[in-house]
Amino acid sequence: MGSFAYAQDDKIIMISPVKIWRHQKKVTQLLGKKGKIISFTIIRVPPAGYETEAPYPVILAELETGERITAQLVYWQKENLKVGQKVEACYRRIRKPDSEGIIPYGIKFRPI
Amino acid sequence: MKIPVLGIGVTKFGELWDYSPRVLVKQAVAEALNDARLKITDVDAIFVANMLSGILGNQENLGALFADELKSANKPAFKIEGACASGGLAIHNAVNSVLAGVYEKVLVLGIEKMTDHNPAEIAQALMSAGHDEERASGISFPGLYAILARAHMEKYGTKEEEMAAVAVKNHYHASLNPKAQFQTQLTIEQIMKSSCVADPLKLLDCSPVSDGAAAIIISNIKYQRSKTKRTVNIVASTVATDSLGLRGRKDLTTLKAAMVAGSKAYQQAKIKSSHIDVAEVHDCFTIAEILAMEDLGFFSKGKAARAITRGATKLGNGGLVVNPSGGLKACGHPVGATGIKQVCEIVTQLRNEAGERQVKGAKIGLAHNVGGSGAVAVVHILKN
Repeated sequence: MGSFAYAQDDKIIMISPVKIWRHQKKVTQLLGKKGKIISFTIIRVPPAGYETEAPYPVILAELETGERITAQLVYWQKENLKVGQKVEACYRRIRKPDSEGIIPYGIKFRPI
Repeated sequence: MKIPVLGIGVTKFGELWDYSPRVLVKQAVAEALNDARLKITDVDAIFVANMLSGILGNQENLGALFADELKSANKPAFKIEGACASGGLAIHNAVNSVLAGVYEKVLVLGIEKMTDHNPAEIAQALMSAGHDEERASGISFPGLYAILARAHMEKYGTKEEEMAAVAVKNHYHASLNPKAQFQTQLTIEQIMKSSCVADPLKLLDCSPVSDGAAAIIISNIKYQRSKTKRTVNIVASTVATDSLGLRGRKDLTTLKAAMVAGSKAYQQAKIKSSHIDVAEVHDCFTIAEILAMEDLGFFSKGKAARAITRGATKLGNGGLVVNPSGGLKACGHPVGATGIKQVCEIVTQLRNEAGERQVKGAKIGLAHNVGGSGAVAVVHILKN
């Protein structure tokens, strides 16, 4: 969930390892947190860097702590895509690796 | 507040492969200067609205670039960026500079060149207006508004066909606007059958990728257009912000920044929403016009979709007309130019110069310009 930079023509030029490292502290705090879907969509025309993943659902989840998180839903069936669906934060690869092989990981949700 | 608009200019909006940003800006500015009967050297400063030139075109420093290109003779120039609200924000800053007495005549121009790039590049570039967490989720701007649409559907029973009705109306208006990107009318069925971009939003719920430029010249109250020509004045100019991402919003069925900017603007102009005859609102997606209608107080919450569907805001209805230009949806959405084009359309309407799409007897108009998924909103009210 860091902010990454990309070049045109699908050639990724930079995913700062420092940003990823800084970001991991936040990611680990969210792991295993439970919540529910507030709203959702399915992305069919993705931004650059996500083309190989589409279509994929993105949800706005509200955690039991009240915090809201925007992230993808994984391991989903059609019946899971509804407001009120209970979800749990898990650790997943966010995008394909950059040219130096750095793989950005972060939070996605799975239905429970 | 009473800020005269001396001149306006808008290029054709669309896929303008023959024209560079410099050419588009020169076209819009030449039209505005001609309308104002001024030369470029008569203006005291230039405000440039743009969002994507740095990301897509690797070109920044647009203030100096256009001051030079327009042969302004070393005039001060500034770039203002606030995503899709860049145009409205640039006008607001120009108005403030005039009110402060720093400048007397100010040129505000908006420009965007988008069609040189492929959809994935554009989707990624537009997401620079969002929250970093949203970018990492792989969501797109249609996706963010789809999340707002889903929440509105859940709470108020808003239907996909009712969202489509916004596009039908705006395409009808655009069919009467020779500068609009799309001059073809659409049916609800065509919109419902178009391919899905981000459920529940379909391709024809979305404003297009566009090129275009727009310009206005404003001044302090000492200056008017010639005695034979009607001068339209800006009587309110307000800005409000909200959380950058949707994660920070308590209510997903309203854009609070637009509500706050709207109510402040009505106060500043000393009018009520019911006094507005014509409005250009930020319909980047069909759901966005429904939100705008409710946020600006034209309809109570949950009532706008049905009202739009029955034609309550369509040209010729005798009351408020919304997006006579065709809106972002059908006139086109060259991001930086949009907020300025909206004000140009309102000025055209209040001068009674809109031809076939003229809102009869329009005296008070409103422009509503939103950046991000509601992170910033700008409202202008104009009177003739």
